[in-house]
Amino acid sequence: MPYRSRDLVLPGPAGCILLALCLLGWSVLFLKAEEQSHILVYMISCGMMVLVAALTDLHTGISATIRGNERTWDFCLILVMLALLLIFCDDHYNLFLLGTIMVYAVTVLGLNVQLGCAGVINFSAASFFGIGGYTAALLSGSGLPPLLALPLGGAAAALTGCVLLLPVLRTSGHYAALVTMAFALLFKVFLEVSEWFGGPQGLSVQPLSLFGTDFGKDVHFETLDVSFYVKYDLVCFILLCLVFSFVRRLERSWIGLAMDAVRSDETASACFGINIARWKIVAFTTGNLLAGIAGALYAMMLGYISPANFAFADSLLFLSILLLGGLGNSWGVIPATIFVVVVPEKFQVIQEYRYLIYSALVLFVIVFRPAGLLPRMPRHYFGRSA
Amino acid sequence: MTPLLSCSSLTMRFGGLTALDSLDLEVDEGEILGLVGPNGSGKTTFFNVVTGIYRPAGGKVVFAGEDVTGMSAQDICRRGIARTFQRSRLCLDLTVLDNIMIGNHKNLNTGFVHNVLRRKAFRADYEAGLERARTLLRALNPLLAGHVHRTVSELNMMDRRRVEVCRALIGSPRLLFLDEPSAGMTHEETRRLMDEVLNMDMGGQPLTMVLIEHEMEVIRRVSTRCAVLNFGRKLCEGDYESVTADPQVREAYLGADL
Repeated sequence: MPYRSRDLVLPGPAGCILLALCLLGWSVLFLKAEEQSHILVYMISCGMMVLVAALTDLHTGISATIRGNERTWDFCLILVMLALLLIFCDDHYNLFLLGTIMVYAVTVLGLNVQLGCAGVINFSAASFFGIGGYTAALLSGSGLPPLLALPLGGAAAALTGCVLLLPVLRTSGHYAALVTMAFALLFKVFLEVSEWFGGPQGLSVQPLSLFGTDFGKDVHFETLDVSFYVKYDLVCFILLCLVFSFVRRLERSWIGLAMDAVRSDETASACFGINIARWKIVAFTTGNLLAGIAGALYAMMLGYISPANFAFADSLLFLSILLLGGLGNSWGVIPATIFVVVVPEKFQVIQEYRYLIYSALVLFVIVFRPAGLLPRMPRHYFGRSA
Repeated sequence: MTPLLSCSSLTMRFGGLTALDSLDLEVDEGEILGLVGPNGSGKTTFFNVVTGIYRPAGGKVVFAGEDVTGMSAQDICRRGIARTFQRSRLCLDLTVLDNIMIGNHKNLNTGFVHNVLRRKAFRADYEAGLERARTLLRALNPLLAGHVHRTVSELNMMDRRRVEVCRALIGSPRLLFLDEPSAGMTHEETRRLMDEVLNMDMGGQPLTMVLIEHEMEVIRRVSTRCAVLNFGRKLCEGDYESVTADPQVREAYLGADL
């Protein structure tokens, strides 16, 4: 029998568990590392592994294993996350990093509904993220339960997005991009001059509190200090799981199909009775809603927000995560977000040049792998077999 | 009997160019009208005006007794006119099933609760759609019915045409417009495709069709009546023999000296 490297991967649930263990091991090593040279070694080794997998066709085996055991894989990922929280339970810095990744991922998933599904360009994701954040800040001290800031932040972002609906629907391509860019720039200027929103200094945000636990305080067990970020990370993780499964279901439904049709060919869509404006509105509003919810949670986690958190550059960052991961592929969002958020944080040497590196990377991806690192897959409504 | 589709003095202008010049055309229930004419004679424009892609500059379109002039493409689709396109407008990166289901959009439940929250109900709905798409494909090409999860970009030209036809048929239209099904295919392939379409069982409902075609052999075999357009006007209409014998038609098509 001819040798095939993809046979190396264990099939079935065992393969998933093995993959998850590798993932966990590498994440722990990478997050624990502080020496810049160690971090570089880990990054290069990870890059090499990806390259080897791509060259030896190992990745087809891996993706087959994952796709064949979606439930096991999802379960493994949840365990990996919980294990990470347990291992780093007293490490504020890494916990905050994890929370940021998850909140960003939720925003990019929203952007994926807009651009990846319906093809509605949005260069102001950070603004909608910010609207959620500022909603949380304004609600501080209002006496309302802090958790309410999440849906209200989402609703505020979605409603504000309605202002942009008309120009976005009436323009297309570069012009639609310009409209949203203008909004992003205006939004930041507006925040900076508005006293109500705290001007350039920003506003403080009250911490989340649930079931009587204050999310702003650490928890002490016997000898163990559990960082308050663990609580936020749990909420972020629940949100991410909910949003992820929501977006996946949306994609794999008649709604996702209608959005795909609108993106691919508006004329043909209209001829088959698809209401183009309706699906663009649904996609745009859904995306903004998700960005708003994520923004509200992020603001509570930060405790203090200012216009600088929601600059145009951040919108570009969200977009580049999406392009990097693969437009239209929700799974691609996760590794891409991890990469874009973690690398400059851990590898401080490049911190100053991170936008330069992102732009180079995005250009590289667009030229050599236009569909992103994990390209969109053909739609399967129910797993691989159905 | 009132005709299914009746257009009177339909006019369409693009700037200074008159693409349709007070065209009168009727299509009766159950007939297959072959629409012929030289390039640029307004055949596709006629389709585009009737299906609502263009708004006519003048004239009237009545479909099944209802004035549909100037309605949006979406509304006209909902009234039961489906079409294929001259240059394939399939979504290449979507699967065969997806492309066909796009044609059934008006009958799909796109409610949020149904699609996202009640996945069991959605699954039943999806499986019914899948079966329907397979039945249609099987009538055209049994092999294709097994490939519903392939992307359209993997298919050859003939199968792509079949998918397009299925996409137009899945919504059970009352009137089907086929815009040059032979484009990009050999004579033999076109002949097979048209046979397949004609033999299709539409559940007892008569299929009314308007067919744009350059391949006169196809028109001869398929159509029950022909209309010839030239410069946006109707040159003549009648059965195949009388139309091809018409000196005006021969002049428009082949030049005056034949």
